[in-house]
Amino acid sequence: MATTHAPALAKVARRARRLSANTVLILMVPIFLAPVIWTVVQSFLPGSGALRIPPVWVTAHPTIANYSSVFNLIPFFTFLFNSVKITLIITCGSLVTSALAAYAFARLRFPGRNALFLMFLAALMVPNVVTAAPTYVLMHSLHLATSQTAVWLPGLINVFGIFLLRQFFRGIPRDLEDAARVDGLSTLGVLRRIILPLSKPALAALAILIGTTTWNDYFWPSIYLTNRSQMTLTVGLVSLQGEYKEGSPLVMFAAVSMTVLPLLVLFLFTQRAITQSLAMTSFR
Amino acid sequence: MSLSASTAPTRPWRGSGPRLFPGGRGVGTSSTTQATDALAPRGRRRRTRLTTRERRDALAAYLLISPALLLFICFIAGPLIGAIVLSLFNYDLLTPPRFVGLGNYRYLLHDSVAWKSLLVTTEFTIASVVLHVLVGLGLALAVNRKISTALRYGLRTAIFFPVLISWAVVSLIAEYTLDPNFGFITYYLGQLGIHNLNVFENPSTALGAIVGVDLWHTVGFSFIVLLAGLQTIPPYLYEAARVDGAGTFRVFRTMTLPMLSPSLFFVIVISFIGAFQIFDPVHIITQGGPGNATESIVQYIYQNGFTDLYMGYAAALGLVVLVVLLVATLGQFGLARFWVHNEIAD
Repeated sequence: MATTHAPALAKVARRARRLSANTVLILMVPIFLAPVIWTVVQSFLPGSGALRIPPVWVTAHPTIANYSSVFNLIPFFTFLFNSVKITLIITCGSLVTSALAAYAFARLRFPGRNALFLMFLAALMVPNVVTAAPTYVLMHSLHLATSQTAVWLPGLINVFGIFLLRQFFRGIPRDLEDAARVDGLSTLGVLRRIILPLSKPALAALAILIGTTTWNDYFWPSIYLTNRSQMTLTVGLVSLQGEYKEGSPLVMFAAVSMTVLPLLVLFLFTQRAITQSLAMTSFR
Repeated sequence: MSLSASTAPTRPWRGSGPRLFPGGRGVGTSSTTQATDALAPRGRRRRTRLTTRERRDALAAYLLISPALLLFICFIAGPLIGAIVLSLFNYDLLTPPRFVGLGNYRYLLHDSVAWKSLLVTTEFTIASVVLHVLVGLGLALAVNRKISTALRYGLRTAIFFPVLISWAVVSLIAEYTLDPNFGFITYYLGQLGIHNLNVFENPSTALGAIVGVDLWHTVGFSFIVLLAGLQTIPPYLYEAARVDGAGTFRVFRTMTLPMLSPSLFFVIVISFIGAFQIFDPVHIITQGGPGNATESIVQYIYQNGFTDLYMGYAAALGLVVLVVLLVATLGQFGLARFWVHNEIAD
C-alpha cells in the first residue's frame, strides 16, 4: 500500500512546499511597499483618525482635506516647478553636449582624440564631494552661490553620457553614414538624420538615468538653494519637515504622497524600460 | 557617478554580466573591444599629409567637443585642481584666503572627529555592501525560480520601486514610520517585545537604522543586476548538473556562484562607492548625531565646508575621500582575478 502511494505523496509534499515558498514571496510584496502604503493611507485620513496606534490601514471615509492644505500651507507648486525646470534643463542640455562630443569621439579622427577621451574617462572616478568646495568658491566669486544656475550649469556635462553614447554610436554601421555623406549631408546632418534616430534606445536610457538622478538630487540643491522660492521638491520638503512635525504632520504626508504616487503609476507602465536602463547605467 | 565606464578596457563582468541593451546591438558586450581598439596606437591608414576631408573632420570634431570640453574644464578638471590648491589655504569666503601649506593635512592627523567619521563611514560601508549582496542575492534567487509571471512582476515592482524615490522623501518616510509615538514599524516592533524604541536618537541604534533604511531604498538595484546575471545562466546547465547527481547546494556553490561572479563583483564595486559617500539620510534625519554616531565623512565635509565655511579643510577632506575610493576600487579590481570568472561566459 505504502509503496503505491509514495509517488503521489511526494508530489503532494512538493506542491505544499512550493505553495508555502510562494506564500512567503507573495507576502513580501506588501511588506516591501508597507512604508509607502502606510504614508499614503495616513494622508487620506482626517487629523483625528491618522497616526493612530495600532496603525490604521484601511478607511471607509477618506478625506482630501490634507491635500488642500498642501496648497494652502506649503509652496508645493513652486517646488514642483523648480524641480521640473532644473530636471528639464539638465536632461536636455547634457543629452545635447554628450551626443555632440560622443559623435566626435566615435567617428571623427582628430589629433588628441585618445588623450582627451582618457581624460574624460578618468573623471568618472571623481566623486561630487571632491569638487563641491572649489565649485562653491567659483560660484561664490561669480555671485551665483544662491542661484539655480549654480545647480544646473555644472550638470550640463555628463561624462558617463559621452561614454555611453560613444559606445552606442560605434555600433551603428558606417555604410549608412557614408551613403548619407555621398548624398551631401553635412556632419551635423549625419548626426541628426542618421545617428540620433538610430540611437533612440541609448538616448532614452540616458534621459531616464539623468532625469531621475537630477529629480532626486539633494546634495547640490541643498548647498546652493537656501531661499525657499528657489528650492526643488527634495530640499523644499526637507526644509519644511521641522515646521510641520508638531502641528500638522499630515500635510507633509500628503506632500510626500503627491511626490511618490505619480512615480509609482509611471513606474507601473514603464517598469521594463526603467529597470533595464537603470541597471545598465548604475547610478547613486 | 559610475565606475563601469572608467574601467572599460578590463571590465571583468563583460560578456556574462547584465545585458545592457536588450534587443539593441549589445553595447555591453561589444563595447569592450571597441574601447580597446580606439585606444590602441594609431588608426589603420597613416598618412603624413592631412587630406581636405581629414582636416574638415578634425575641425568639425573640435567644434562638436567644445561645449563638453569647456564645461569639463570649468566644473570637473578645474575644480579638481582647485581642490588641491584650496586645500593649501584657509578660506572662509569672507576674508581673503590665507596660505597654510600642509596645515590642513596636519590638522587632519589630529582631528579626532575626522577619524571617528572615517570609522563610522567604514562601518556603514561594510554593513551596507554585505547586506546589499546577501539580501539582493537572496531576493534574486527567490524570484528566479519557477513562479507565476504575475508574482514575478509584483515582486520586481515592489523591490525595485523604492530605488526611484528620492533620498529626501525616503528619509522623511523613514522618520515617520520609525517615529517613537506614531510610527507603525515602532509599534509592531513593540508588539514583538522591543519597546521604547527611538532608533535615530539612540547612539547605539542610529547607524544601524540608517543601514536598514539604505538597504530598503537601494537593495532593488543589486537585486535587478543579480537577477539579470542569473538569467544569463542557461537552463540546460542546471539540467546537466542534476543528471550528474549534484545537489541543490552543490549546484549553487560550484556553478551558480562562479557564473554569477561578474555580476556580484559589479554590485560590490558600485555599492561600495555609493555607501562610502553616504550623505542624504544622515544630513536629513540625524545631522550626524546623536553625538557623532552617524557622522559620515561626506556629512563632516558638508559641515566643514558649507556650515562652518572652512573651505580649505573641506577640500582637503574631499581629496582624502578621492584617494580612499581610488585605492579601494583598484584593490577590488586587483582581488577580482582571484574570484571573478569571465572565461565561462559563453
